[in-house]
Amino acid sequence: MRTGLIAIIAAATLSTTATAQDWDAISMPRPAPEEWAAIAELPDLSGTWSPDIRDQFAQMDTNPPNWLPHVQEQVDYLYAEEEAGRPKGLFIDCLPHGSPSLMAVTHNAIEFLVTPGRVTVLGESDGNRIRRIWTDGRDMPEDPDPSFDGYSVGYWNDGVLVVETAAILPQVYLAISEAVGIPNNGGMTVSERIHLLEPDLLAVDMVIDAPEILAEPYETRRLFHRRRQRSHEIEQGVCRRGDFIETEDEWGNAAWAPATHDGMGNLLPDDLLELLGDEE
Amino acid sequence: MTRRPGLRRIALGLIAAASCLTLPASAHHSFAMFDSSQVRTITGQVVQFRWSNPHVALFVQEEGTTGRAGVWAIELTSPGNLRRLGWSRTTLEPRDQVTVQMNPMRDGRQGGGFREVTLLETGETFTARLIDIERN
Repeated sequence: MRTGLIAIIAAATLSTTATAQDWDAISMPRPAPEEWAAIAELPDLSGTWSPDIRDQFAQMDTNPPNWLPHVQEQVDYLYAEEEAGRPKGLFIDCLPHGSPSLMAVTHNAIEFLVTPGRVTVLGESDGNRIRRIWTDGRDMPEDPDPSFDGYSVGYWNDGVLVVETAAILPQVYLAISEAVGIPNNGGMTVSERIHLLEPDLLAVDMVIDAPEILAEPYETRRLFHRRRQRSHEIEQGVCRRGDFIETEDEWGNAAWAPATHDGMGNLLPDDLLELLGDEE
Repeated sequence: MTRRPGLRRIALGLIAAASCLTLPASAHHSFAMFDSSQVRTITGQVVQFRWSNPHVALFVQEEGTTGRAGVWAIELTSPGNLRRLGWSRTTLEPRDQVTVQMNPMRDGRQGGGFREVTLLETGETFTARLIDIERN
């Protein structure tokens, strides 16, 4: 029996050691000079990419997702609410768009940073609009922690960046506009093919599989236009700045005062109304 | 000792008051609360041009009015998108005389979705349609 117990403890120790070794493994090694050089052979994704808004709306009208029937009812309701001037603000809480909405419905520009083993997508609208796409040959982890943008692994194939994304939080919307979208409710995956159609025109071909809300995977394309002028540089855009207004503290320092909002996201800075009242 | 609010602070208070009445949605949102079938044109003086994410806001005191009841809050897109359309944070300044076209709010509050502004002193006109970014 004692021998058996030792064997169990030894096995447990080995198991623990193996797990620890996985987390301790080097996953971001220092790139070799030739890896930096190899990037020059990839499609050039530098510059600022602005979404094609006209195409976004066209996709809504001509290529809607095939929602499950009970989800379609919700979508119809959201459309009716928007038509009535009561749009649901899917993103007014300033949480990240998440995947695939960052690529599908954003009205702000994005940029790509291509480095050895990784492509990083930076969204303008907030510091949280960041996607890390690992292109170092790793497999999708068995059980990655869910996040807004999920875990993305990809590879380059004949000028196309092929990306698979999983582990997206169930609360993340599959959004087709800023007012119409349904939480994916778990299990959503996104396959992307990101490639140049023209020197300054980028296509993001997506297949979105969201089995809890879609009757079939949704295939759609989004277009982005490249600009290189200084006027098109990405700006730091902090969404939550809209939750504050400028004021001064009791010492006269520049400061932020929290604003309050109604259900539509409208500013309701009651605190500063009191300030105004002092002067009237 | 309590420090009395300075002029800047008072101005901010005025803006805040106007915001309370009229400024729609602070963050990414549909513009469906604005009635795109209606165009309202006002002439007046810029009270503040708020170059801030996620959406820029323009406050205009309508000609012939005084106090916050005559201030309109007009919402535009983000600073980044406006820059790509030829704007800067100094395109409009307080006290500029302007004519502004907007789609008014459906619920009657004194705000709107921006369409076009003309600076009366120079005659310069600015629009902010996102689809025009593709052409710039």
